[in-house]
Amino acid sequence: MLTRGTLIYIAQRLALILFTLIVVSFLVFITVHSLPGSAFESEKVHGKALQLVLHEYGLDRPILVQYWSFFTNAIHGNLGVSFQIRGLPITPVVMRELSVSAELGGTALLITIGLGTTFGVLAAIRQNSWVDYTLTSIAVVGYSVPSFVLAGLGVLIFSYWLPTVTNGVISYPAEWSGTYGTILELSLPAIILGFYTSGQVTRITRAAMLEVLQQDYIRTARAKGLKSRVVTVRHALRNALIPVISILGPLVISIITGSVIIENIFGIPGLGKEFVESILQADYNITVAVFTVYALLIGIANLIVDLLYTVVDPRIRY
Amino acid sequence: MAAIATPALEEYAGGTIAREQVGLWRDGFRRLRRNRLALAALVYLTLLVLLAVVAIFWTPYNPATILPHTLTFEAPSAAHLLGTDDLGRDLLSRMMQGAQISLIVGVGTSLIVLTVGVVVGLVAGYFRGWIDTVISVFINIFYGIPGILVAIILYLVLGRGLLNIMIAISATAWMDMARLVRGQAFSIREREYIEAARASGARSGKILFGHILPNALGPIIVQATFVIPIAILTEAFLSYLGLGIPSPLASWGSIASEGYAALPLEPYMMLWPAIALSVTLLAFNFLGDGLRDAFDPRQRR
Repeated sequence: MLTRGTLIYIAQRLALILFTLIVVSFLVFITVHSLPGSAFESEKVHGKALQLVLHEYGLDRPILVQYWSFFTNAIHGNLGVSFQIRGLPITPVVMRELSVSAELGGTALLITIGLGTTFGVLAAIRQNSWVDYTLTSIAVVGYSVPSFVLAGLGVLIFSYWLPTVTNGVISYPAEWSGTYGTILELSLPAIILGFYTSGQVTRITRAAMLEVLQQDYIRTARAKGLKSRVVTVRHALRNALIPVISILGPLVISIITGSVIIENIFGIPGLGKEFVESILQADYNITVAVFTVYALLIGIANLIVDLLYTVVDPRIRY
Repeated sequence: MAAIATPALEEYAGGTIAREQVGLWRDGFRRLRRNRLALAALVYLTLLVLLAVVAIFWTPYNPATILPHTLTFEAPSAAHLLGTDDLGRDLLSRMMQGAQISLIVGVGTSLIVLTVGVVVGLVAGYFRGWIDTVISVFINIFYGIPGILVAIILYLVLGRGLLNIMIAISATAWMDMARLVRGQAFSIREREYIEAARASGARSGKILFGHILPNALGPIIVQATFVIPIAILTEAFLSYLGLGIPSPLASWGSIASEGYAALPLEPYMMLWPAIALSVTLLAFNFLGDGLRDAFDPRQRR
């Protein structure tokens, strides 16, 4: 599996991720720090006192020097301190929020893939039937309805119209009870987030399955008397999964983007909620930190996706 | 599939550029007409555009005015067809203004993306060399950075306003278009007719915009159509978070957000923008799918 070539490939990709992180964090850092006003301006700090505070946080230095110290610290795992909650180190906060977002996003990703591939396969093997039309319609509706609309309707239905169904778990305004919520609290936001992206998976799986089902080896497998379930799952689905893996990267991006709004609506203490709050409160160190973590996540996700190719399709080598 | 594509190919093989373009459009619309879903979407979107145009000159009430003799959260009635909002403003008027804003942002962003993406993509794909390397590296770095998050940060820096929100969304959206056009230019520049044009002394500009662009138009139109719902969704997303169009301008996103805040008092206020956004995005997606089948028959879904 892990040949020399693969290792070199992984090393190259990691270098590329690092380069991307540097460029992206630099651009975000410069952009965010060029914004007028800071977290301190709203407080009753003027003149000399403001200068002192800015000096304490190193904000009176040239922007490039500031970025350099951010960068060297970030490499050592120190993402700086919060402006809003004076001097609070960001790294532990971001790591905790990352784990919360990973809980939500990971569940949503599983739901997306499970739902999407199941729908896609069912639609493909019943092509041009009512099953096909229903499932493809659900897919199009899924990625056309904005996630915040789905989330709003979800809260409306379960907290306002049918509060008894969920035993009042979904309340208004929605808020997680603990850092990681309960399974019931997790389910609605995860399903909504997963449903939103599952439409893309359904489409890709359906198209790929239709393509694969026409291949000669499927006919051969049928001809030698294999059950259609075996043919579908073992022969067809395995090859139809390759295009699905190719959209995993974009899926992770969709889920991250969607989680920003879902976490805000459902009161989930994750990275997405922090990102919006940090912008609204001008706590720019956190904005840069969260953005960099997102870029790192996506870079690693894309790398894993490319490595997954070799597992699913042994013909691909790096 | 190839059989459908052939007539269009034959038509421009023997004709001038002008005739080829007519062929593309006529051929595309003939195929689009057979797609009922896309036609229904087109009808809906035409009505929506009409509504937005009407809203320039007339809305039932002033969408930004807090009406003197109106209660907040009035239920739909003859006087206020969609009811009133948390400040007692007429929701139908605000929804009409929201339609305007959504369409302006959608189409405007699409035009910016079209211009920037086509020019950059053509230059990269045609000239190759270091220009292509620089552009490709840049695009690859940003590949996989969530566009909405970039738009949020950029929009804050640019300041609030309609044009700025379009620029902020275009900041990442042009890259997909550039990549597509670059790929098209890459393959088209190797065709014989480009060689013939170059041999007959055509300049680069003429070859790029007179020969390569018209032959890549199908996929470009399709891609430009898909930018519209993305831009509308992004604007609604930003406005929902309170980071979008400045109040008192009404956006479907901000109405949805105000509606969500008022959920226990008046659930219907959130329903209108939810329905409007969903149906509009659905229509643009159906239209885009239809256009892809009609103008880009080689690319199967």
